[in-house]
Amino acid sequence: MTDVTLTVNGQTRSASVPPETTLLVLLREHLNLTGAKLGCDVGDCGACTVIVDGMAVNSCLMLAGQANGRNVTTIEGLATRDRLHPVQKAFEDTGALQCGFCGPGAIMASKALLDDNPNPSVKEIRDALSGSLCRCTGYTKMIDAVQEAASVLRNEATKQLTDART
Amino acid sequence: MKAFGYVAAKDVTDAVALLAEHGTGAKVLAGGTDLLADLKFAPHHPDIIVDISRLEDLKDIEVADDGLHIGALVTHSEIMRSPVIRDMFPALVEAAYTIGAVQTRNLGTLGGNLVTCVPSMDSGPTLIALEAEVVIAGPGGERRIQLGELFAGPRKTSLKTGELLTDIIIPKANLNKPAAFEKFGLRKGQALALVNAAAAFFVDNGNFKAPRIALGAVAPIVIRAPEAEAYLEGRKITKDAMAEAGRIAATEAEPISDFRASADYRRDLITVLVKRCLANSHTRATTKAKELVL
Amino acid sequence: MDDKTEVLEREQLDIEILRDVNLRLPAVAPREAFPAVPLTVDARLQTRAVGQRATRPDCRMHGLGQTKYIDDIKLPGMLYARIKRAGISSARIKRIDTSGAEAMPGVMAVVIGKEIPVNSFGPTFQDQPVLAADRVFHAGDGVAAVAAVTEQIANEALERIVVEYEPLPAVFDPVEAMRDDAPKVHAPNSNIYATKVVRKGDVEKGFAESDHIFEGRFSTQMIEHVSLEPHAAIADWDATGRLTIYATIGRITLARADMARTLKLPMSRIRLIGTTVGGNFGGKNEISQEPALALLSKKTGRPVKGVFTRSEEFTSSTTRHPIIMDYKSGVTKEGRIVARQIRLVLDGGAYCSWSATTLGKACILSPGPYKIDNVLTEAFVVYTNKTMTGAMRGFGAPQVCFAYESHMDDIAKGLGKDQLEIRLLNAFDEGSSSPTGQVLHSVVVKETLNKAAARFGWESQS
Repeated sequence: MTDVTLTVNGQTRSASVPPETTLLVLLREHLNLTGAKLGCDVGDCGACTVIVDGMAVNSCLMLAGQANGRNVTTIEGLATRDRLHPVQKAFEDTGALQCGFCGPGAIMASKALLDDNPNPSVKEIRDALSGSLCRCTGYTKMIDAVQEAASVLRNEATKQLTDART
Repeated sequence: MKAFGYVAAKDVTDAVALLAEHGTGAKVLAGGTDLLADLKFAPHHPDIIVDISRLEDLKDIEVADDGLHIGALVTHSEIMRSPVIRDMFPALVEAAYTIGAVQTRNLGTLGGNLVTCVPSMDSGPTLIALEAEVVIAGPGGERRIQLGELFAGPRKTSLKTGELLTDIIIPKANLNKPAAFEKFGLRKGQALALVNAAAAFFVDNGNFKAPRIALGAVAPIVIRAPEAEAYLEGRKITKDAMAEAGRIAATEAEPISDFRASADYRRDLITVLVKRCLANSHTRATTKAKELVL
Repeated sequence: MDDKTEVLEREQLDIEILRDVNLRLPAVAPREAFPAVPLTVDARLQTRAVGQRATRPDCRMHGLGQTKYIDDIKLPGMLYARIKRAGISSARIKRIDTSGAEAMPGVMAVVIGKEIPVNSFGPTFQDQPVLAADRVFHAGDGVAAVAAVTEQIANEALERIVVEYEPLPAVFDPVEAMRDDAPKVHAPNSNIYATKVVRKGDVEKGFAESDHIFEGRFSTQMIEHVSLEPHAAIADWDATGRLTIYATIGRITLARADMARTLKLPMSRIRLIGTTVGGNFGGKNEISQEPALALLSKKTGRPVKGVFTRSEEFTSSTTRHPIIMDYKSGVTKEGRIVARQIRLVLDGGAYCSWSATTLGKACILSPGPYKIDNVLTEAFVVYTNKTMTGAMRGFGAPQVCFAYESHMDDIAKGLGKDQLEIRLLNAFDEGSSSPTGQVLHSVVVKETLNKAAARFGWESQS
């Protein structure tokens, strides 16, 4: 068995799992975080995307052991009791979610982009989403959503700066 | 996946020892993007996975006396962000950008891409065109070979039991050699190359000097196009010469026909991609523009 | 008595009737509920909703990652099922030995084709087995199903199942399969399992009157829906003999009927819960593994979950029909279509599934939205030893649309006419008749074409 201890959505979690367990299976079966989905299991569809140490990764292509000691954020870690994360809200508002199965993966890929690049161009958004396949929406609303969320996050950041100064 | 053992190597020496101990029963885990996908379909499975993903020693990018060193565990995303590589070899950045999607590039490593050794590897052609060498650590110590000697066939390297690729070096003579890379896939992202190609040459009084052309996905391994290179050596740099080099290069390849494309189509692609690589290298050589357009 | 009293009496009367009514009879709406003249919707009227942003109520859960799709559902004691796929396109099963799998620790049950009470189902023809029993008709056919305590064990169990096949002749090309001497997929029946003909006017006369004749062949490929969520189901056969199925199926009553048939169980004992689906597009409109999962649950006394791998989505779930389409049009020198003759050959895969419906739609829509006095369409759907073809969004329309529009462009090019102009010349008007005689209302084809052309700056090509 492989013992893993990692931070998931700000909490320390531990598990003892068979070595061949992927991070995706660790999250879904052992930690009961079923937001990340199994769409293809080979890193083509992006439905399993989570953020590990700040990077969007396909959790189906990471072994649980690889994630030992790392910082993982899943879709479940975005919203707080008070509010949705701006990316979640924007996806909801623009209609970027239909069947919703690709949603968690696309939202995490978008969040990873915005964490790194607060003002992405359409091309940069497309690049960030190119690993998230969607059969329902045609992606156009997702691009709108990311732009909307980016704008909200930039305003919040500006407001925080202004508040800090006053 | 079927059950296998797992151990995280503490350092290169430990990794080498583990690989030597387990022989063909061990597989190396660097980024895992090729390995895990392969294991899910493979009828065979390893006894043990040796995880080297945390070996910080293999993540350096630095210019040393003998050339530019890129550690085997540098990820494709890190290549794209590295100021040194962006400045010296935008072609490597271009190549990294074509690999998979952002999720793949965040985990996938340069060493892993080379050692997985598929004919269509995207990191191979540029490094071959730049005459890169690789450092291999093994039970008997370190050895250094030409990158081309690493490739033995599709998914087959010349690495012996217990050996580990640790470093990729672009020799000093080729630092700042203008180079370009092109890939043609059925999509812009998440696609294997039908053909990929790279070219590098110095400009000497308006003539090609030390031209090097590399082709991928059109032979069992990444190959050079020596006849096309010989044609260009010392010749005046013109569009026609570039086009002719492309045509010659196409005759030096052995593309296959498969469900993605016919051999003829791949040959046509070679002529176009080589011509574009030569043109882009020339642009890089003659302009001061350092803008990397991806 | 005043009116109010009369009304009260009538209401009371209705209640009395309802009380007396045998509860098995369907409720009948009073005659007044239906207008004597059918409603005609005017497409030109703008509704308030168009252009507004509307939030889907389920998006909240989707965005939070809280929606429970089938693979997110875990029931106590649940087992995991996997299905062994034939891997050979046409064969007789000589022998199947599941003892190796059954002996594995953690394997709780195995089911094979012979154990299915009625091993055939299908929306039109019941030609599809739940699991192949004697014959394999395509490489994605299931030959055995295994339930184990983990998916990993179930996977390994598949390898321990030994099947001996006697390969049989196979046919892969639908046009070839139409020939008398082609191997019969479902012998002794012809490979042509459904046909449809639409005839209007006299095409031969029309061709004779035409200034030019254009012919073309167009073919489309097999397409898989690739819904992000694979086919998944959980079957729970409880101790009272009632079956609960969680499934991603879009046609619940049809699925219950097929489950009742294949399992020889009264429909009243079958509860099918249609869960939030991660994409259907037509590919999840019929049962597939559910009866096998149900029998595994019956054998083990535990719920059993089965989720297709992405590979199985390609090999073992329905796909879009490839169609080979031959078009022949007779036109005047101005470009008006006088006659159109079409032959459609649909690759019908190994089983019928929704092919009859697809055939119908493709056939009726094949001439395109054009006023043509003389039409003859002959359409055939043909068995081949390939993945089953069924419903996929469009249902036969996308393929013929590609054909008739490409054909129209060929005609325009041949006559040296503008592609837009030739369509405006021929397109339906308000009140035009379709080839099957349906009078069409709310027709805005020409207005739409003109508006679109203006918006993207179409410049005449003639």
